[in-house]
Amino acid sequence: MAHQAHSYHMVDPSPWPIFGAAAALLTTSGLIMWFHYNSSMLLTLGLISMLLVMLQWWRDIVRESTFQGHHTPTVQKGLRYGMILFITSEAFFFLGFFWAFFHSSLAPTPELGGQWPPTGIKPLNPMEVPLLNTAILLASGVTVTWAHHSITEGNRKHAIHALTLTILLGFYFTALQAMEYHEAPFSIADSVYGSTFFVATGFHGLHVIIGSSFLTVCLFRLIKFHFTSDHHFGFEAAAWYWHFVDVIWLFLYMTIYWWGS
Amino acid sequence: MQGLKPIVSTESPALIFGTTTKLASDLPATDSFLGKNKVPDLQKIFQKADGLPVHLKRGVPDRLLYRTTMALTIGGTIYCLVALYMASQPRNQKSV
Repeated sequence: MAHQAHSYHMVDPSPWPIFGAAAALLTTSGLIMWFHYNSSMLLTLGLISMLLVMLQWWRDIVRESTFQGHHTPTVQKGLRYGMILFITSEAFFFLGFFWAFFHSSLAPTPELGGQWPPTGIKPLNPMEVPLLNTAILLASGVTVTWAHHSITEGNRKHAIHALTLTILLGFYFTALQAMEYHEAPFSIADSVYGSTFFVATGFHGLHVIIGSSFLTVCLFRLIKFHFTSDHHFGFEAAAWYWHFVDVIWLFLYMTIYWWGS
Repeated sequence: MQGLKPIVSTESPALIFGTTTKLASDLPATDSFLGKNKVPDLQKIFQKADGLPVHLKRGVPDRLLYRTTMALTIGGTIYCLVALYMASQPRNQKSV
């Protein structure tokens, strides 16, 4: 049997990329059918198949790395570049929504009453729940770093405790934001204020949920002994993503919540 | 060779709780915090030279999930193409 004479990973043939593309087709056309024809069957199919593809694709990556040993240092380097490029692209995604916010708020039109916040909008007090949420995410940044140090020092119990705490803080943030959304005196339909507020904070909230899910998967893998003290890139990627989510919140807080109120 | 891992791990990866060459069965009770290390057993399963691709390596549960995903995506794609064809028809008949 021939062995490879290089340190890269030539993956087994896999159906997930094409099934993922099909899932994206179903989800997008599902949105159209839902918006215009009041039918959510296609959208449901799309979201379920998207979930199935993600679960199996990432499951296979865990198998290839932890169980089959394909993630050499060379492969890991590529994964690091990949994650950094992905997070950079997400930063640009949010940049667009910040641009929209500043476009509308730096020169408020007469239709808004020539002021920001627009006439009639009662913004949320940045010193109340939003400040608490800032403290929660900052604390979760500390706990995820504690978890990382515990992993590199081989301390299993502390690592599990710290990562669990990080995830709980993430859930607490999400719960508080959900409550804020429910109680807010303005809605997404309330002029460009509502649009910029809810789209920017809404996408951020989605990323908090994604980040919390990623961390939860890492917690399961941590408990199941997948990580070693010097090879735990899955956890590092989750921690990078979590810090990114925290930084986006800090920008949101300073611009939309504080300066914008 | 630089960077290559052996086909079957000759050493289990440095166990996360820092012990050196202990086997799972040798662990003192305090180290079995939340379960035993089953990674070496799983490594044996997934490194069997049976020619199966990684997404089907575990046999029946993998095949079931794969076939379900395939059914949903391929069936969904056909349904999607039909729905898009109907949606692209002129609006004098409202198709359900």
